[in-house]
Amino acid sequence: MSELKQTSLYQKHLELNAKMVDFGGWEMPIQYQNLKEEVISVRERVGVFDVSHMGEFYVTGPQALDFVDYIVTNDIRTAAPGKAIYSPMLNEQGGIVDDLIVYKVSDTELFICVNAANIEKDFSAMSQFSSRFDCKFENLSQNYSLLALQGPQSYQVLKELLPEIKDIGYYSIQILESEKEVKSFIARTGYTGEDGFEIFGSHNFIERLWSLMMNKSVQPCGLGSRDVLRLEACFSLYGNELNDELTPLETGLKWTVKMAKGDFVGKDALAESIPRYRLVKLSLEKGIPRAGYPVEDDRGQQIGVITSGSMSVCLGKGIALARLDKNLYQDSEKLNINIRNKIYPAVVNKKPFISGRTKS
Amino acid sequence: MSKIIDGYLYTEEHEWIHVEGETATIGITDFAQSSLGDIVFVELPEEGEELEAGNSFGVVESIKSVSDLYTPLTGKVVEKNSTVEETPENLNEDPYGGWLIKMSVNDSNQLDSLMDSNAYKEFCESL
Repeated sequence: MSELKQTSLYQKHLELNAKMVDFGGWEMPIQYQNLKEEVISVRERVGVFDVSHMGEFYVTGPQALDFVDYIVTNDIRTAAPGKAIYSPMLNEQGGIVDDLIVYKVSDTELFICVNAANIEKDFSAMSQFSSRFDCKFENLSQNYSLLALQGPQSYQVLKELLPEIKDIGYYSIQILESEKEVKSFIARTGYTGEDGFEIFGSHNFIERLWSLMMNKSVQPCGLGSRDVLRLEACFSLYGNELNDELTPLETGLKWTVKMAKGDFVGKDALAESIPRYRLVKLSLEKGIPRAGYPVEDDRGQQIGVITSGSMSVCLGKGIALARLDKNLYQDSEKLNINIRNKIYPAVVNKKPFISGRTKS
Repeated sequence: MSKIIDGYLYTEEHEWIHVEGETATIGITDFAQSSLGDIVFVELPEEGEELEAGNSFGVVESIKSVSDLYTPLTGKVVEKNSTVEETPENLNEDPYGGWLIKMSVNDSNQLDSLMDSNAYKEFCESL
């Protein structure tokens, strides 16, 4: 096995006695002392995640916007400068190569943040198209560290550490003018369903910021609590809910597909495709669903599979996302989950388990 | 340092076994509850079920993980601790008080392969 990559905060995680795991080739903290405490801190106060393993691409030049708008399904063109836009990027067959966030500094300068495990795949897929546009396309992942500060007290804490920040709106960004080593910025985004910020900056800057946050008793949080939090908010995880074989129309991401905008990679395939699956939110009174468990209808026929499952810390019961076969699922509100050959009843939820907590 | 009780027997899967006459009481150790983290679900076999040494007899789940429970003995389940199924979080507080099952011991030779408290202590330290 090749050597695991480490983020600039690796030593700090060890000093905090974090339990480290291999996550997509990176040696990352899965949890510090107590996963439940980490989840509660983010929901009630504030917590910070080292997500420096994620990838940062940088697009500049006269046709930077045209290029980025062409490689993703969401509409980057009409978004105002200073906005962040969540979007899938597709292959020519309409399958999801990755889900990512575009940070539109201006029409001629955009950042793209991609999943750690997909950095090489995405960069190579995007590079196929960048030469058609008058723009410069760079992978700056090695120059950047990234923190996610999440929870209702995020703004208050960050403002004390970085007085220059403004009370920007959800999915907005602000360039940190005081940082000169690399172009640094904050975005009011996250993967927890709470208010919060992601802070992109140099390794030095992020290390300093991390230490300051620790001094302020911000709870360090690992990938374990991050996964519980994102599942409570019903955010998809690439590799679980999303992959190269599935289209956004089959994974609950129709809202990110703007067929009315100009051409984009995968558009033709998508226009002709018939969705085969539906992603649903399930909760159980008893039993804990896990990825891979079969989902059955009331006649015992398997109609789908759990893609992510966990005990919800906030609800105190099992929750899951499940991919169901569209032809077999008859819109029933009640389904069964087969857990070790025992049947546990589950309810289909219309809304995320946690919602309405981000800044408007 | 995790708690280990003298006079009990232990497995490498971090179960404890307390033998009284022809009945063995089985639970998970302090080391096990500590590495699992918050325990949120326990599934146990029904009374009367026949268990075979080395096989899984149930599961204990934390928020993020599922771990099988293994019996080192062959025998019949004589009692299960329903309280633990209802309040699994108590296993974190008191793993030795929160026993899981009582079972009959068909072959007492199977006890010979288990660790005593000193051997288990050394085993934990080696991990």
